[in-house]
Amino acid sequence: MSEHTVATVSELEDGDRKLIEIEGREIALFRLDGEFRAYTNWCIHQGGPACEGSITGTSDAEFDRDELQTELQWSKEGEVLNCPWHGWEYDIPTGDCLSKEGAKLPSHPVRVEDGDVVVSL
Amino acid sequence: MMSQTAAHALAETTVVDTDVHITVEEEMIAKYLEEPHRSSITDSPHPMFPSSSWDQRMGGKIDDYFSEFTGPEDIRQFQEDFQIDYPIINTFEPLGKFSQPDLAMSLMRAYNDLLLDKFLDDYDFLGLGAVATQRPEEAAAEIDRIGDNEQIVGLYLGTSGEYPPLGDPSNDPIYKAAEDHDLPIVFHGNGEEFMFDFPLHNKGFNNYFEVQSLGHPWQQMATMASVIGEGVPAKFPDLDFVFLEAGIGWVPYLMHRMNKIYRMRRSEVPLLDQSPEEYIRDRFYIGSQPLGEPNRSEDMKRMIETLGADMLMFATDYPHWDFDHLEELDKYLQHYFTEEERQKILYETPVEAFRLPFQQ
Repeated sequence: MSEHTVATVSELEDGDRKLIEIEGREIALFRLDGEFRAYTNWCIHQGGPACEGSITGTSDAEFDRDELQTELQWSKEGEVLNCPWHGWEYDIPTGDCLSKEGAKLPSHPVRVEDGDVVVSL
Repeated sequence: MMSQTAAHALAETTVVDTDVHITVEEEMIAKYLEEPHRSSITDSPHPMFPSSSWDQRMGGKIDDYFSEFTGPEDIRQFQEDFQIDYPIINTFEPLGKFSQPDLAMSLMRAYNDLLLDKFLDDYDFLGLGAVATQRPEEAAAEIDRIGDNEQIVGLYLGTSGEYPPLGDPSNDPIYKAAEDHDLPIVFHGNGEEFMFDFPLHNKGFNNYFEVQSLGHPWQQMATMASVIGEGVPAKFPDLDFVFLEAGIGWVPYLMHRMNKIYRMRRSEVPLLDQSPEEYIRDRFYIGSQPLGEPNRSEDMKRMIETLGADMLMFATDYPHWDFDHLEELDKYLQHYFTEEERQKILYETPVEAFRLPFQQ
């Protein structure tokens, strides 16, 4: 395993991301709620640049069987990454794919050390 | 009717036929209607059951079996001839095509009264209750009326002439009532009624070959896409769905296609918490007829394997001109599948789908 300093903590605000290349691999560093996460820029669907896609929320729905009414809610604003090729959704905090159960973005350990953000590959 | 060998093999197998139509003549249904609809059928010159004018039986090249298939004794004879132990009978008429909501509601109740009066009350037949969707709350009330009868084992909806498409939330009272009575929804495609859903193609096609090739699968695909896309299986988690009369090959195609589109557009259908394939494999059942006829028989083996014995059920569609004899499916089951798988498809899976009131 190799360690790489990829950014300084102050370089990224909450909601920011930074694309970097480490040993020929494209990695995206995300900052959300003060936490850093690193994912390989590779959609498990067809290998698209998932980490370059728009960051949005997504829709949830609940059905009231007594009233026969469906209530739509917008949730996870700022936490959903959409692969620009086909719209597959990923949850940024966990890397979980929302479009296919059990699938995840490949993730990498991240730690902060002396104001630097260090990614392990 | 069949060879000695085939008859011997079938004699040892209990067979459920999930699609048997009784023919109901206009004078017969009129007896179960109140006025003004009774006279509207018997005394009025307008065609109550409009025809698309296609010649389905090609000038008599194919015999007419349906005109005389009107009574319980005809079903008994069919059972004997075709070695069907449990025919699940329906009144055929797709009620979605009727423009007059009053008439559609009256016909729905009349068909159910006829089914009970002529076929279920004095015999041990199993039947499907007719449902018309023009007024979903009234349809739900009808399901409440007939739904606790043990011989009513499902609810029959023709998928032609249905507007809006059947998954539309306006139909939710029907699905709720069906779930309350633990009755599966049975969607049935039709050829003659192609003109109601696809009038431009009906006008543009030059022969019935083209209509028959596309009518049933287009209707059934539109229905399955609508039901899944509107989240009906998620809204009613104990409700099951049966699709009849479009064969089986369209199911893997649409199932896999919907998986792909679901993953691209998940946020558009947020009620779904599983892939379309998971809903279909868990809760959808498919009737075999009319089984496609691949030039290479192993292609049908793979198709049957893709659906699986938990989803596939046998259907004849008798007495209609495009019926399948059991041999059509059973030749593949006997050649390529285990006896356990065969038993599932011919008996256990329909017993599960329709919650049939006897032991497996």
